[in-house]
Amino acid sequence: MGLLTDPTTGQGKFIKILLKYYSYACMLLYIGGVIWFLALAYPTMNANTYFSENALLPGLVKSQFREDREAARYHEELLDEMNKYHDSIPYSWLLAKFNQIGLDTYTHNFTLTSPFNRKDKFSGKNVYGILRAPRGSSSEALVLSTPFRPSTSAHPPTAPSVAIMLAFAKFANREKYWAKDIIFLITEHEQVGVQAWLEAYYGVSCGSENILDHGDLRGRGGAIQAAINLELHSERIGQMDIKIEGLNGQLPNLDLFNLASKMCTKEGVYQTFKNKGPFYSRKPSKEWLNYFRNMLSMMGTQATGIPNGNHGLFHRFGIQALTLEGFEQSRAKGSNKIWFVGTGRIIEGIFRSLNNLLERFHQSFFFYLLPSSDRYISISIYIPSVCLMIGTMFIKACARWFKLQETSCKEMSTETHSPPVRIDKIITTFLVTHFFGVLVSNIPQFMSRYITSLSVYETNVKVFYPLLACLVQLLFIPLFIRMRHCRKSMELLNILAMLELGTVLICISMNNFSLGFFCAIISVPAALLVNPSSCRICSYFQRFLWFLVHPLIILTVAVMINTYFLFPEERMKEIVIRGWDATQQSVIFSIVDSMVYGNWLYGVVTNIFIPNWLCFWIVSFCVFKEDEIDTEKTEDITDKDIKKTN
Amino acid sequence: MSLKKLRIYNNLISTPRIIITCLSAIIVRYYLMMSKYQSVIANHVEVSTPLNSWKRVSEGLYLLSLNINPYEGDLLHETPLSLYLYKNILQVFQGKIHLAFITLDVTTAVVLYFTTKKFTEDLFVEEEENKATYAKDAEECFLKPDKLFKSSYYVLLTYLFNPYILFSCVGYSTTVFYNLYLSVMLFSMVHGIPVLCGVFLAIAASVSFYPVVLVLPITMYFKYAIKSHTKIIVNLTSFVVTSLLIFVLCSNFGTDFSYIRSVYGCILTIPDLQPNVGLFWYFFTEMFEHFRELFIYAFQINTTILYLIPVSLKFRKHPFLLTVAVNFIITIFKSYPSVGDVGFVLSLMPSFSHLFPFSQQGFLVGTMLVISTSLAPILYYLWIYCNSANANFYFGVTLSFAVAQIFLLTDLLFSQVKRDYMLKYGKDRKIDGEEGILCLE
Repeated sequence: MGLLTDPTTGQGKFIKILLKYYSYACMLLYIGGVIWFLALAYPTMNANTYFSENALLPGLVKSQFREDREAARYHEELLDEMNKYHDSIPYSWLLAKFNQIGLDTYTHNFTLTSPFNRKDKFSGKNVYGILRAPRGSSSEALVLSTPFRPSTSAHPPTAPSVAIMLAFAKFANREKYWAKDIIFLITEHEQVGVQAWLEAYYGVSCGSENILDHGDLRGRGGAIQAAINLELHSERIGQMDIKIEGLNGQLPNLDLFNLASKMCTKEGVYQTFKNKGPFYSRKPSKEWLNYFRNMLSMMGTQATGIPNGNHGLFHRFGIQALTLEGFEQSRAKGSNKIWFVGTGRIIEGIFRSLNNLLERFHQSFFFYLLPSSDRYISISIYIPSVCLMIGTMFIKACARWFKLQETSCKEMSTETHSPPVRIDKIITTFLVTHFFGVLVSNIPQFMSRYITSLSVYETNVKVFYPLLACLVQLLFIPLFIRMRHCRKSMELLNILAMLELGTVLICISMNNFSLGFFCAIISVPAALLVNPSSCRICSYFQRFLWFLVHPLIILTVAVMINTYFLFPEERMKEIVIRGWDATQQSVIFSIVDSMVYGNWLYGVVTNIFIPNWLCFWIVSFCVFKEDEIDTEKTEDITDKDIKKTN
Repeated sequence: MSLKKLRIYNNLISTPRIIITCLSAIIVRYYLMMSKYQSVIANHVEVSTPLNSWKRVSEGLYLLSLNINPYEGDLLHETPLSLYLYKNILQVFQGKIHLAFITLDVTTAVVLYFTTKKFTEDLFVEEEENKATYAKDAEECFLKPDKLFKSSYYVLLTYLFNPYILFSCVGYSTTVFYNLYLSVMLFSMVHGIPVLCGVFLAIAASVSFYPVVLVLPITMYFKYAIKSHTKIIVNLTSFVVTSLLIFVLCSNFGTDFSYIRSVYGCILTIPDLQPNVGLFWYFFTEMFEHFRELFIYAFQINTTILYLIPVSLKFRKHPFLLTVAVNFIITIFKSYPSVGDVGFVLSLMPSFSHLFPFSQQGFLVGTMLVISTSLAPILYYLWIYCNSANANFYFGVTLSFAVAQIFLLTDLLFSQVKRDYMLKYGKDRKIDGEEGILCLE
């Protein structure tokens, strides 16, 4: 048995090689990871999308949707109603229409308490109708949802999607082949409405307590299998964009995406992903660049963990969902525009395919990247890129560990007395930094709950500045740590921090590959460069470098760059001011998201990344006497001399 | 070294320090049990398996109070005697189960502390006696009393602050009870109290069946460490008598055997395929039904007797290590393991601190354990709640968890072999001028 033979045979050599070349190996692996990632967009690395679930039978039926006049009439009426109620949902009209069509119609009330000011409450109302399956037992359901946007809303209008939904409901109610309930859902207040409805449907709370009161539903369908969210901005659709990125970077099943994209193609509408249609070029470099840009843009959205449409909130409940966003303007040259008939038929096609499903979506891919709407990269292809990068952390930690063992062995033999390593102290330091992380993550809740006298101030004063103050204070931690004079203790702390960083990055990239990848590509090289060193300049450089990868600094830089691209005409000063404001807003939004939707980005950053960052920060402040090193060096030299004489 | 001097060495760790450690462990446990994380931890499949979840126990107790036979359904897998014990413990603690669990867990830690203390003492005495037979240049690996006698305190520390044990205690898994039985068994074995050892072995075996195989290592211990044949006989008799007694009591004086199917049937034939940190669930979900029996035999033989005899033969001179190793094998391969079981064997590792210099894979094993432990709940969440990952992901993690444990075990056993070799033949390992390779034979 291989396991039971002596593990030392050959391993001594292995360790020697590791100790000698680990820094090169780390560098190579990191570069390898980056190259692998760049190669992902190359057509040979990704593949054409295909249908894995045969039961879907996409596009095999003859489209029968003909209710375009109804849709146009609904649209007109709805616009009239919206003029009457400027900023609320015309629910009596909607209820009347649903009832007229013959659906089980219900309303759903919910209340949102402002996370930072308990006295502020917002209430909203969702309207939904359930089409009971004539050929089933109501044990499964599909959802067609659309966000209702009043005419005062800042977002582009969605009235056409409400109209087409009503028309489709009217059409569907006449048909006898539905084996699953169809729930037609019109939500208010964008994502809050959907979140409240879903929480009420399942009777759970996802965010913090007492923030979102999800109310109760009087009518339910079966277990929801899939959901399509409509955001059509016009009666005429020239371009249909499919949005898939969900909460915490979750994605719907690739089959659902393929289905939607196939249906759009069938109806002849210019169908895009991330605003880019299918792209072919004879030049490989051009093709690569195009794919790469598209993939990066998807990863950027995914990494934030914020859903880019109402579909994103369904994913957490195991419901496959996506958004169809229709624009009148098309980026394609000379493409035709479809009217209500076409959009209705797209919806009909998707729902009739979903109706065929015998099991819930389980085939195809749940973890993928899309460089274009007809190509995909599966998890087995993309995960090595991030694993190569994260692997460097473990390799370096391993090498450092063996080096430490070696030096302690040497000391044993030469009996030089260095200060003893206090493992308990290292673990205490490690735990204390994490304790501070937990404290930081609880600041917003604490501020809003106990300091009510501050409610006159704005949220950024109340929440952001205390947070900032805490983070700045934490920068001074290393000054209070005595053991930074002990080289070995710092080495151990460094190893511990590297292992933690590696583990955390692996865990994050399993959940949200894009976030894991971006974190790895930024933090890994910096973490590789931080070592306990005696050289003054090196250590200053390390501190500066490590300071730059503080999560808040990274966020600020990212937001600044974004602002620069959004407002290129502004002057530098203006951009900095805008960027700083936007940074504050983004921090506050991420806190709000964590409290309302249960987005875990804020929690992960404060509970894990900041403590981990602090550990490295302490290591970079390591100060020890140089003579220790000198003795080591001389020892090395004498060793070499001995070898030479041998 | 005189025995008196040895005693002084062995009391390096003062009692107040131990008490403070225990107190802080109690505070940590109490805080976690009172926080909102208690139910989260208790509901994790890594902590609560069908065999040890407190939810099922309270359900069973409730059924019992309504005079319904709790073994009629497929719910309860605890023996009637343990059920009776839980009922009484609830009465003694007046329904405050968290206090009961904390008390038992800390008791286990203290028992393990005294076990290791005696073990290290015996180890040292034995080495002092045999020093004349050792090789001349083997001084390096002689036991160092100042380090060796601290290991009992480290056992206490690792048991009390081991995250696995913490989770299993906070999650109210009945593994806490099982660990107590095992620790008392080890304690009485090391102190040479055969009656107590047999009794607790019988209790542990009645709860989880697998400890039956520990009879062999314990017999080895009484034969080679204590060197008393009467004690072997006493131990075996007490084990048999207690087992019979437990059987009689559980079956309500031979009238009701329904518990056997629920308890041992469940352990041996694995009807409940809820995922856990072990290896059984995945194989038996994937397997065709008509192969099931064959593989049940294969897996159970693998757990119980496949390694038992070779390991017992090889390490008969180190019976304590042998006992821990056999227990470790059971933990890795048993049908419904939980992190509480793993934590128990891991916290015994510091008692072999004299073998650490010979071990090779400590870093690897540590990293693997950390990664697999932190990935497991995430992948479970993605699989069960988000419906995006699948069983293969989670099984990958449990597989690497098992592999890490196997590496640790083989590394530990091999360290012992290497140390023996070194003591006997010295540092030099050259055979005809070439580096020799050691083999486990």
